[in-house]
Amino acid sequence: MDEQFDFKKKYRNILLILMTGGILVSLAVILISNPGASRIWANVLLNNQYFMGLSLGAAFFLAVHRVSQSGWHTVLQRLPDAMTTFLPVAFVLMLLIYFGIHNLYSWTDSNVSDKVIEGKKAWLNIPFFFIRLVIYFTGWIVLTRMMRKNSGALMTSSDLKYHNRKILFSGLFLVFYGITVSASSWDWIMSLDAHWYSTLFGWYVLIGMFVTSLAFITLLIWLLKRLGYLNYIRPDHIHDIAILIFAFSIFWTYQWFAQYELIWYGHLPEETSYYITRVHHFKIIFFINLGVNFTVPFFGLISFKSKRQIGWVAIIAAIVLIGHWIDYWLMIMPAAAGDKAGIGLLEICMTLFYACLFIFIVLRSLSTGPLVVKNDPYLEESLNYES
Amino acid sequence: MSNRNNISISFNDEIPLLQAVRILRDSKEIITDVLSPFPVHGLDEALSIKRSRIPVGGFIFGALGAILAFGFQAWVFTVSYPLIIGGKPFFSVPTFIPITFEVTVLFAGLSMVAALLIRSKLKPDIRFKPVDDGITDDRFVILVDTNDDETTLKRVTSLLSGIQTLEIR
Repeated sequence: MDEQFDFKKKYRNILLILMTGGILVSLAVILISNPGASRIWANVLLNNQYFMGLSLGAAFFLAVHRVSQSGWHTVLQRLPDAMTTFLPVAFVLMLLIYFGIHNLYSWTDSNVSDKVIEGKKAWLNIPFFFIRLVIYFTGWIVLTRMMRKNSGALMTSSDLKYHNRKILFSGLFLVFYGITVSASSWDWIMSLDAHWYSTLFGWYVLIGMFVTSLAFITLLIWLLKRLGYLNYIRPDHIHDIAILIFAFSIFWTYQWFAQYELIWYGHLPEETSYYITRVHHFKIIFFINLGVNFTVPFFGLISFKSKRQIGWVAIIAAIVLIGHWIDYWLMIMPAAAGDKAGIGLLEICMTLFYACLFIFIVLRSLSTGPLVVKNDPYLEESLNYES
Repeated sequence: MSNRNNISISFNDEIPLLQAVRILRDSKEIITDVLSPFPVHGLDEALSIKRSRIPVGGFIFGALGAILAFGFQAWVFTVSYPLIIGGKPFFSVPTFIPITFEVTVLFAGLSMVAALLIRSKLKPDIRFKPVDDGITDDRFVILVDTNDDETTLKRVTSLLSGIQTLEIR
């Protein structure tokens, strides 16, 4: 039970090489092909949002399970805990947006007189934008840190107060996250089209985050099992994660469709503009997004047996991860980069850089302690869990 | 009373029940039935009962419902009674989706209920006398097949001596 992940120098070097490779190729592409400032900043925003979402979704996963006092996730709780350590890095990366804010957000331009944007001035102005950014990240970082600290304390102490505190902070996180995830998605994504609004948008982003983190947790389990760790994670645990991926992929589609259909039916010009840009100019990607994120997990994970094989669930999870990257791409890129939007070498290399950075931080945090929280009161239940 | 055909063993928890089921199966006793107030996880595996095929039926009927609902709406709105609604084209897929979804759920749900009733031979006038009234409340009961009075009862009692049982009779 004291097994500890050994983050070998070999793995570190591979990740660091890929990370430098990713950033160097991106810089080369920027210098050679000159993709335009807005596309570069849109890439930064896209990857910030995507990998921050992985961290937040992991914290949401833990908080929901802890508040509902579920037992089954206890053996794997260190993995999502490690994923939340990316948040401080995401904070710094998100502050970079300051340098590209005029390239991304049209509402920052004060010279153009625009009635609609003037009406939104109370919320959409540069100082308040950054005040909110700091508030969101402070809350997320502090609350996830407290959750991590208290669950980590159970590795050495068996005092039940840490367990109770962990649940308390999970509850606080859920309340804070529920509000801020909506508000942050309006700030960072929806305000790219400053005229457009959708009341469903925050929930849509939240579910996307949750599905991606579930997929990433699955891949992490798959990776660690390949390296010979986590032998006590049985098909029953995989089954439950697969059920969540399946269910929340359907829920994501539900949200996608609820947003689309009302706008399609209402046919109001200020609402349809969002879909007209995306359907007319990026038709293939638009339908790939829907197809991949719904069809693959739905038919891939519908049967009982398919949910219990880690190899198969990991394949579906990898496809879902790519699918939701495309989903964010569709939300951000057409609005931010306009005609210059595309999926090319720049996007792939930037994402490679971010992905390696994220995996590096997660694995480093995972290697700092045992893979199982030894004194968690639900550990025994989780080890003997039958789904 | 030599005409008994089973022994009933009762428990007040699911953990000794599962242990007892495993012991009895290992020593080749024939378990005719296990009765519990709620579904016990892992009991199907312990009794090596095959997985129910009801979900397959649900999937097939759900798919049938989806096809029927979509096809019916497509036929009504393009061939039988085309109407212009809000300036939309006659064949507009997004309008069909909610009804297709609902009918899919309805078909899958009803077909699974019907399949369950047919497969377990449940019909309105059925009368059921429980072995032990407690199984509808807090008791777990295993029924073991027998055709004699004492020998099987003794054998079962000795097999389960290490397990917390309420009553063996």
